[in-house]
Amino acid sequence: MLKELELKRHAMTGISYMIPLVVASGLLIAIGNIAGGNPALISDYKSSYTLWEAAVTLGVYGMGLIPAVMSAAIAYSIADRPGIAPGLLMGMIANAMGAGFFGGMLGGYMSGWCVNFLKKNIKVPIWAQGLMPMMIIPLLSSIIVAFIMFFVIGRPIAVASFALTDMLINMQGGSKAVFGAVMGAMAAFDFGGPVNKVASLFADGLLINGVYGPEAIKICASMVPPFGVALSWLIRKSRYSKSEADNIKIAFPMGICMITEGVIPIAAVDPLRVVFSCSFGAAVGGSLIMLLDVASPVPSGGLFIVPAMQNPIGFLISLGVGSIVTALLLVVLKKDAVEKQNDGEDDEEEDVDLSGINIK
Amino acid sequence: MNIVGIAACTSGIAHTYIAKEKLMKAGQALNHTIHIETQGTIGTENELLPQDIAAADVVIIAADIKVGGRDRFAGKKIVDIPTHIAIKSPKALLNKIQAELGI
Repeated sequence: MLKELELKRHAMTGISYMIPLVVASGLLIAIGNIAGGNPALISDYKSSYTLWEAAVTLGVYGMGLIPAVMSAAIAYSIADRPGIAPGLLMGMIANAMGAGFFGGMLGGYMSGWCVNFLKKNIKVPIWAQGLMPMMIIPLLSSIIVAFIMFFVIGRPIAVASFALTDMLINMQGGSKAVFGAVMGAMAAFDFGGPVNKVASLFADGLLINGVYGPEAIKICASMVPPFGVALSWLIRKSRYSKSEADNIKIAFPMGICMITEGVIPIAAVDPLRVVFSCSFGAAVGGSLIMLLDVASPVPSGGLFIVPAMQNPIGFLISLGVGSIVTALLLVVLKKDAVEKQNDGEDDEEEDVDLSGINIK
Repeated sequence: MNIVGIAACTSGIAHTYIAKEKLMKAGQALNHTIHIETQGTIGTENELLPQDIAAADVVIIAADIKVGGRDRFAGKKIVDIPTHIAIKSPKALLNKIQAELGI
């Protein structure tokens, strides 16, 4: 039942549509703040304003659009084009009520399901067929879901969302370090897979609520594995076969851009040791990020967006220490690589359960 | 077999293209004719040609997100998988599909 709802696929679709908007908005805010010295937002377009004020204002507009885009993309993923209109509206309500990103997600699911329900259950005579997509579905679905958002779930989500934000902002010492370590380990654990996406979703949600620390952890933890592996290879080349070394040479520049996936071929050969070393290093990096009060208003971009962060030096320290920890663990834990006789192609395949696959 | 397919992942910058490469390589190694379209964040690349779709015995959709243009495959046999299956064991996947279709 739960599987049929495909919650994850829809959320992922939402995120894939949202990321470019978050990056553009976050960078605009960061650039405007760095270059213009925390300029004010434009409140009156009739009087004059500077370039940097314009940049920050646009960035803030973009951030405000995020719940709407997330919600619309989820609704689109569920119900195709008719989902977009109610989805956008629910995201706007979520944003206005302070229910933010999570409210937007929920609004998106509800909009999509509502549209699908209406499509299936409302029967109109042939002459009125054209009215279905043009009037009946957009109007009814918007009214129904908006009612739920405004009067039922909007407020509780907003309250929960504020409570979460407050808790994270007010965290001290030990709990900060633990939170950073857990986020870091999760974000690095499967190199861009589902566990990483959960951590990522959480960080993105908090970003919209104005908490920027978790994004910095996510960025750091996405870069520790490739940097750590590359460093361990420099320290002790014998730990890797020739084909692994070739993969590392690709994984490192990918890591600079915050793409962790380059490490997958290395982890596939020796999963336990590599995953453990990478997660541990990323956990250390994540703790440091929290303790040094590093924060990033931009959710992705790797080394290129470090200047836009709060406390960029602290970020580099966290990344460096995390990578060194990962590298040392790899050097200690890994055994020397055995060169395979047949080193032709990466022909090896993992055993994956294919029984659930259906041809329709 | 004649295969067409789509690859699309969440961030649309890495898995999408790895999945495509793996499927293409496996398909060529097993002597299938294979065309894979990528729907990354940059947009659609290597868009499938109507004649390739028409000739296809099966459509493989390796995606973690909703893909565009499914209506092009009306009446075709479609296999829906997440990208990680195409990345981890593309040959086993193709062999299974071939066995099930019996061609």
